[in-house]
Amino acid sequence: MGLTSANSGGSEGMQLCIFDLRRGQQEGQELDKILFFFPADLPFSNQLSVIGLSEGLITFTRIFSPEAACEVIEAERHSHVFYEAEPDIWMVMVVEKSKEAEAIWRVGALRAVLKEIHSLFMMFHGSVREMLEKEPSGGQIRAHLYPFVMDYLSACQNRSPLDYCCWDFLVGKKIQLPSFRDCLKECGTVQMLTVGREAAIEVQSLARVLESGAGATTPCYSLILFQDLLVSTTLSPDDTINLFAYAVQRLTPRALSSGVSSWSYLRRGNTPDLVAGLTFATVSVSEQLHHLHAPSPSQDNSNHVKRPLQHNRWSKEKDGFLVTDIWGREMGSLIPATPTIWLRQTGERMYLCAYQYKSLTLILLVPLSSILNGEQGVSLVKKQVLENASLKTLKVEEKLSKGWGGENAYHVSGYRYLLIDDDRNVSRASPPVKVTTLAKESLLAMSKLREEVDLEKSRAKWDSADHDKDLEICIRAKNNAWVVARTTRGKELYMVLEKADETLLYASDAIERFSNRVPLLASSRAVALGGLPIRVIVNEILSRQIPSIAIM
Amino acid sequence: MTVSVGQDEHRRRFQGAPHLPQPIRLIARSFNHFRIVEMKERNTNSTLRRILVNCAAQAKEYGGCVAAKVPEIERDMCLKEFLALKNCMQNTRKGEGFELGMSSKASSSQLSVSSSGSGGLSHVYIQHPPLRSNVLGSRGLFYDDGNKLLISPTSDQVFSWKTAPFDPHVAPTSDSISEGPVLSIRYSLDAKIIAVQRSSKEIQFFHSETGQNFGYKCKPESESMLGFFWTDCPLCDFVLVKTSGLDFLACDVESKSLQLVETKKLNVSWYVYTHESRLVLLASGMQCKTFSGFQLSSAGIVRLPKFEMVMAKSEANSKPVLAVEDVCIATIYGRIYCLQIDRVAMLLHSYRFYRDAVVQQGSLPIYSSKIAVSVVDNVLLIHQVDAKVVILYDIFADSRAPISAPLPLLFRGFPRSNTSSSRSTAKVSESPEANITDSEAIIYGDDWTFLVPDLICDVSNKLLWKIHLDLEAISASSSEVPSVLEFLQRRKLEASKAKQLCLAITRNVILERRPVLTVAKAIDVLVMSYSQSLKTGSYLKGIKAEKTSHSGGTQIGIPRSGAHASTGEVGVHGTSTKHQSSALGDNESLNRSLHFSTSDSEDNTQVKSLNTNPKVNMEKLSGGAESSSTEVHTSSSQSEHLGPSNSPLNVSVSERQESQLTSPAISPDEMYSFVFAPVQEEIVGDPSYLVAIIVEFLRSASSEKIKVQPNIYVLTIQLLAHNERYAELSLFIINKVLEPSKEVAMQLLESGRQNSHVRKLGLDMLRQLSLHHDYMLQLVQDGYYLEALRYARKHKVVTVRPSLFLEAALASTDSQLLAAVLRFFSDFTPGFKNTSDCHTYYRILNEMNSGVAV
Repeated sequence: MGLTSANSGGSEGMQLCIFDLRRGQQEGQELDKILFFFPADLPFSNQLSVIGLSEGLITFTRIFSPEAACEVIEAERHSHVFYEAEPDIWMVMVVEKSKEAEAIWRVGALRAVLKEIHSLFMMFHGSVREMLEKEPSGGQIRAHLYPFVMDYLSACQNRSPLDYCCWDFLVGKKIQLPSFRDCLKECGTVQMLTVGREAAIEVQSLARVLESGAGATTPCYSLILFQDLLVSTTLSPDDTINLFAYAVQRLTPRALSSGVSSWSYLRRGNTPDLVAGLTFATVSVSEQLHHLHAPSPSQDNSNHVKRPLQHNRWSKEKDGFLVTDIWGREMGSLIPATPTIWLRQTGERMYLCAYQYKSLTLILLVPLSSILNGEQGVSLVKKQVLENASLKTLKVEEKLSKGWGGENAYHVSGYRYLLIDDDRNVSRASPPVKVTTLAKESLLAMSKLREEVDLEKSRAKWDSADHDKDLEICIRAKNNAWVVARTTRGKELYMVLEKADETLLYASDAIERFSNRVPLLASSRAVALGGLPIRVIVNEILSRQIPSIAIM
Repeated sequence: MTVSVGQDEHRRRFQGAPHLPQPIRLIARSFNHFRIVEMKERNTNSTLRRILVNCAAQAKEYGGCVAAKVPEIERDMCLKEFLALKNCMQNTRKGEGFELGMSSKASSSQLSVSSSGSGGLSHVYIQHPPLRSNVLGSRGLFYDDGNKLLISPTSDQVFSWKTAPFDPHVAPTSDSISEGPVLSIRYSLDAKIIAVQRSSKEIQFFHSETGQNFGYKCKPESESMLGFFWTDCPLCDFVLVKTSGLDFLACDVESKSLQLVETKKLNVSWYVYTHESRLVLLASGMQCKTFSGFQLSSAGIVRLPKFEMVMAKSEANSKPVLAVEDVCIATIYGRIYCLQIDRVAMLLHSYRFYRDAVVQQGSLPIYSSKIAVSVVDNVLLIHQVDAKVVILYDIFADSRAPISAPLPLLFRGFPRSNTSSSRSTAKVSESPEANITDSEAIIYGDDWTFLVPDLICDVSNKLLWKIHLDLEAISASSSEVPSVLEFLQRRKLEASKAKQLCLAITRNVILERRPVLTVAKAIDVLVMSYSQSLKTGSYLKGIKAEKTSHSGGTQIGIPRSGAHASTGEVGVHGTSTKHQSSALGDNESLNRSLHFSTSDSEDNTQVKSLNTNPKVNMEKLSGGAESSSTEVHTSSSQSEHLGPSNSPLNVSVSERQESQLTSPAISPDEMYSFVFAPVQEEIVGDPSYLVAIIVEFLRSASSEKIKVQPNIYVLTIQLLAHNERYAELSLFIINKVLEPSKEVAMQLLESGRQNSHVRKLGLDMLRQLSLHHDYMLQLVQDGYYLEALRYARKHKVVTVRPSLFLEAALASTDSQLLAAVLRFFSDFTPGFKNTSDCHTYYRILNEMNSGVAV
């Protein structure tokens, strides 16, 4: 395939591009299509050949499936993962199938990465299409996309064991995409703290007081996190996922503390040469390349580009509020401007006020439209929040810390699991430190199994959108571990039992016991899953799913 | 004309802006009052006089100047002074025309305000008609607080009116006694013996049934009687207070004599006693400010430590003497206080009695040299007699701030047909000022005697008034919602009214969209009060038997409440359901006995604690007092219940029943039906405010461990689902903020028509609640036949008909599915194979299969 040349760029066998199918339709203007390309130092001809192939495939597959064109192409040495972020705006990730065992990807996970990049971009900058319409030359969107995606891919610190989420992929010089080792994680979901009723009511009460205290006429929203876990949200599910992902990476106490040492006020300028300068020697080249495309006053423009994903730019003030200078400063003052984000559901622009007390992080979103006098109004809102909610915050923090079982609270000994509630976009998994104890074979088997389930799921989605299929697969991996997947009515359970007994019955019982223990699904699972047909395929996955009815 | 204006004004004030801050109104009123007086003066005096008054200073200056220079008079001698005087006079006259116009305008508005408007500005009222005790040949009026009797002796008879329950039309009972002076008269507590003090040395006793009489005299010449009272203390029946101390006597009717049981030797200048507190305070010393006290409760006699009262001195050497009218005993919330007027400092000192200590509790300011104290429904009323206003205090918490500003006592319900005052009363029906013509209704007349706890005796007109609180006015006078609610929740006397007011206030606060925190505080007050009432109500379990015998004839409501309890929700507090039901029954006749027994039970436990633990420090004396007074308490509470309903003639029956509510506590169910449900109908737009309020209510309820009815949860689901806040809704359900119940599950299923996730939540809840039948029906409805069958097998649900499944399977035209369903029923339902269903569907299945094969 003509893609082998893509690898010659010397970057780690991964290419990521974003392009607009509506642009550059004229001969000789093909470069116009490219909105983003990684690695940026790849010759244009190579970039264009990647995009050209992708475009061709999309056009071809659209003939058969106009609504959902191709999702993935498996070539001999590469996998192409497609994601249509917005109509005709495509994101394509090309990953190399190397001999290295680590480079075994699950397509679903890769697609989730693309999706997350785009969702976060939307949250901070609005949609790509909108920006293109505002400034058809494409300079602005390129100036925004480039630092954004690079910030997303870059990682300055080691991933902590509690790190559930999948971003920050550049560890050292190597881009780390979610591999089979991350098969017991789910990107694009929210991890929730399980709380008792009393605490839940207190939390809700706090959320309501927060929102009502802002004094806005239009509704405010709030997100409450404890440690890295979500406790309460009044946002729509999409917005919750985005904001949660951002908060866990940049706002929670752990995210803050990891960056404290390197935080410096000297770095407050948004100089463009900081763009991922640490890991990419080629940055300046790419900048130039991008600016070549952009006829706009590039220097000025890039100065105004906000880079919300930059590390170590948030800090906690004395009053408990978190501030950042990413959004610049108020004219003629040292007060950092309050961050603003776009809500996916309502399309509203909101001020983001984050308040932190010990392990508790409160995020209050106030509509821009309801605050007339800018920063002054925001500081008034903050003052009111302190007045109204600080006592409740104290109480809630105390209650939650009392019930908090530590980082391994959701570890169930003997099991390595991942639970996903698709309806609520909530997942819960064994603590990452526990997952690392699993043998490679188990993880590989699980990764494969998940791939199968993904496939089955998407197939079922086209069959009957509102009717969830039940499905249960138990396989025996090479190392004699039981690897189990179950889906019932919008809930998925993946599980590895390494020390399980020989018999399937034992594994089945173990799963049953587990279902009774895990509070997220608890009783509902136990009953719902009971007596599902079980099919055993030892050492190999049978890709065909057995309809549950057959064994009835 | 004036009347209509006045009534409008009155109505506006109560309906319109009820939250007008009090101080403003107060100022307005006092200003009006002042202006009226000024105006009258102005009309009666000549212009010249007014000029002279106004320009007195200038005139004096001029006069002085001239006088000093006389006799050498010359032109422009005192020009400066003259000009000043002239200027002043001209200004006064010029201004007069203007001012007259003003004043006429003011007067018209003033009249309406003062005649009726200000009449409404009151927090306490007395209700017409009073109890009239007109008896020919009456020799004065006496009040026997032990039996709550108003007594009017004539030369050979004693007429007595029951004042509890207060009924202005009660007929007097009469007993005959022999001729002689009557210094004091009291019935024994069983009402059989009448004790009449004839002189400072002699008391005569008459048996009311047999007419027998006997006398008792104090022996030594040195001592004289100060007074006496009957007691229910086990040691004695009768206590004689003499200058030399107390005599405890036992009365023996058979032998017509009194036996001296015990004597306490003390120097007594005067004494104070109330039957309510069972406390006698004996004053001694030069200034009469040293006090010894005894409490003669049914638990025994408790001697209080000697204590001194504080008196400020006007001058260094003066030694004011404390008079008997300056000290009174008040029972508030079961605690006993002594209130002492300090005329020099213009303070009312309060002391609280404990078993082993008397603790000064702070002082209240007074604004009048004559002060009277009443206690109505545990609210302390301090009548500033000279200023003709009354100040209200709710001595419950530490705060000594008055509930409301000083306002006059209102005279209410004066009938138009009253002949003695036809002129003015026809014009103005609710005004203290208007009653000047009516000698009967002079507010704070000189002959008013304030009786413990809440009666006023107009001695000269022989009338007895009962004081009432105007809860509506009090609650309207403050904008501090939580404190108003607290105050209302403590009211037992007009519990129903207090309850209605509380509900209305809460509704308004929500509709006005006050800050969530404010509303949360208000809700906290209500929930805490309810929880408190549950706790005290739960006492009644243990002493039910005793209670029923005790309450005797009054227990009309009991079977009713029993039914309530059984129909009510599944009780978390098994013992409290009964109480709850009593709170629920709004206009049902409620069992008064319940209330009595509640107090009984408290008393009993307190007695026990007193007996077993007599030396506990700071043990409440009041506990003892209450324990001794159970019997009287019941009667007093009885009076409290019947009092307000009986006094006015035009009170409807339903109101009368309502007034029998024993506690203004509001249950969660009532919260729903009288606050949240109506508010939800009225509130428009974004419901997140109401959801926030409900969350606060749930928080409050959960912190007090009170069970909330599912209807509130259902309402919350409706609110959230209606606005498509499904994510929040599922968070509420998953965290069990909305507790699972069948109603909630059904509402989720209902709301789930728009959102499948919500529907799933409902299904899950059904399963968690083990509502197998409903769960299976829902599964079948959703097309999960096999899961339903599996579930049926696991939980042995046999209530769902096989045909339901078979029809559904057939409708799916999936032969595999039909086969599976058939197989299931053949295997697991005994006898299914012989039903027609079985045969029919097997045939259909065969046809389907053969069709496929072909």
